[in-house]
Amino acid sequence: MTNPQQALSTQNLVAGYERDLPIVRGVDFLVATGELIVILGPNGAGKSTFVKAIAGLVPVHSGTALLGSADITHVPAHEKIRHGLAFVPQTENIFATLTIEDNLRLAADILPRERQARRIAELYTTFPDLAARPSLRAGQLSGGQRQMLAVARALIVEPSVLILDEPSAGLSPKIVAEVFSRLKAINKTGVTIVLVEQNVKAALAIADRAVILVEGRVRHEGPAATLADDPVVAELYLGARHDRRAVS
Amino acid sequence: MNPQALMDGLITGSMIGLGAVGVTLTYSILRFANFAHGEFISWGAYFAFAVAGALGAVSGAMLAPIGPFSFGWALPIGLLAALALTGGLALVVDALLFGRLRRQRSTVIIMVMASFGAALTLRSLLEFIFTSKPAYYTKALQIALPLGGGIRATPDQLLSLGLAAVLVVAIHLLLTRTAIGRSMRAVSENPQLAGVVGIEVRKVIRVVWVLGAGLAAVAGVIAGLLVQVRPQMGLDLLLPLFAAAILGGIGSVPGAMLAGVIVGLSEALAVQLIGAEWRAAIAFIILVLVLLIRPQGIFGRPE
Repeated sequence: MTNPQQALSTQNLVAGYERDLPIVRGVDFLVATGELIVILGPNGAGKSTFVKAIAGLVPVHSGTALLGSADITHVPAHEKIRHGLAFVPQTENIFATLTIEDNLRLAADILPRERQARRIAELYTTFPDLAARPSLRAGQLSGGQRQMLAVARALIVEPSVLILDEPSAGLSPKIVAEVFSRLKAINKTGVTIVLVEQNVKAALAIADRAVILVEGRVRHEGPAATLADDPVVAELYLGARHDRRAVS
Repeated sequence: MNPQALMDGLITGSMIGLGAVGVTLTYSILRFANFAHGEFISWGAYFAFAVAGALGAVSGAMLAPIGPFSFGWALPIGLLAALALTGGLALVVDALLFGRLRRQRSTVIIMVMASFGAALTLRSLLEFIFTSKPAYYTKALQIALPLGGGIRATPDQLLSLGLAAVLVVAIHLLLTRTAIGRSMRAVSENPQLAGVVGIEVRKVIRVVWVLGAGLAAVAGVIAGLLVQVRPQMGLDLLLPLFAAAILGGIGSVPGAMLAGVIVGLSEALAVQLIGAEWRAAIAFIILVLVLLIRPQGIFGRPE
């Protein structure tokens, strides 16, 4: 039975590139509508594989994934965006040889023709940096601008859930703060956000709730503020002492 | 040097260019060198030959020459049918062979070897059905018109050049100005991300097969009209096609066409300057030189 307030959930999800070697080993996960949730865990915990499985990029061997009340477990990746699920991969998340405008138009192509131009204009208003040079090749953008373009592209279709895989990877602390502040602002407009992060401090600062994955299973979850103050959790599940200092 | 070599080179280059555009599109999307592409040229030529022949058998009026050209309405209709049939043939080959290998995540070398096998099979099938005896769309003789500067060309040759130019511009506009063109460029760069954005990659692959095979069919009909129709005609053009696709820069439609003309002109000049027996070697020399000096080609970007 599904909760009308749930935006995204998985039940006993098992996923991995090879059937006999699952990386995600039975994850139960639930995100309420409008929530910003962060998935944390040490390297190799299966965080990225989990969100890629939801996005349709990694085979799901058993279990279910629901978007609202719709079963999207085996919906092909290209169909999920039409259901309202947008995904921003960690790397290579823009088309570097295409212009900024073409990156956005590519995402807008699935919208009705009369909405396409309006949505692109709205995204340019939200991300003025992109509006300044629409004919620039996306490969010429800085790291932070690339993330903004990837997020803008994902938002074109007005998704109900936005999943981002380590949006802070490779960015300077200043740019990370800017990207996360934008994500929080997007979340406040009603978009449910699922964030996979290694940058524990920055992620917990904007998240409502956090889930910790270890070896493909959920080991801990709770409000982000509580988790940030829990030195045991940091020591056990978030890796190095550096991380513990980061969350404390 | 006889200036007529320029016209001969342009005509050969237009055929090579059309084939090379198909090679460059399939290579950039499917990421393997399809050595069966030459067979789409031959099959396209024979599809048009069969349809035009059938129309001519039904109504002799269909074979009556149109204006200054050597062929009747049967051939343009046969060409349109060949576009669809060759596109269909490419989809069948993909469904039976390449699509299965893609799903098995086969390596590039497996795909290339499979394309060799497909080429042999398609060619043998063509020889079995039509025999290896050359065939002709028309037996009518045409007088070449003087164009000035010592250059002459027949109306059929001028029409072929015009058709090739129009098609290349149309494909370039399709790639740069339409949604399906954007999708093709996106899949070419990153198929997984293209899927995430909402592009059905399999649909794009089908479009690329039909487009590439359709262009090959046009090249085949032009070659058949200006020279003759033979089961080996695609094989003979294969090396020049790849030389042009690589010289132009993989993925570049204008590059492939320009490079096709360069290869065609080089072949024509070689015939004039050093002898016809060196014609086939020219494409190979160009290919090796490009790979050594500028592997990304004229319009390509370094990796």
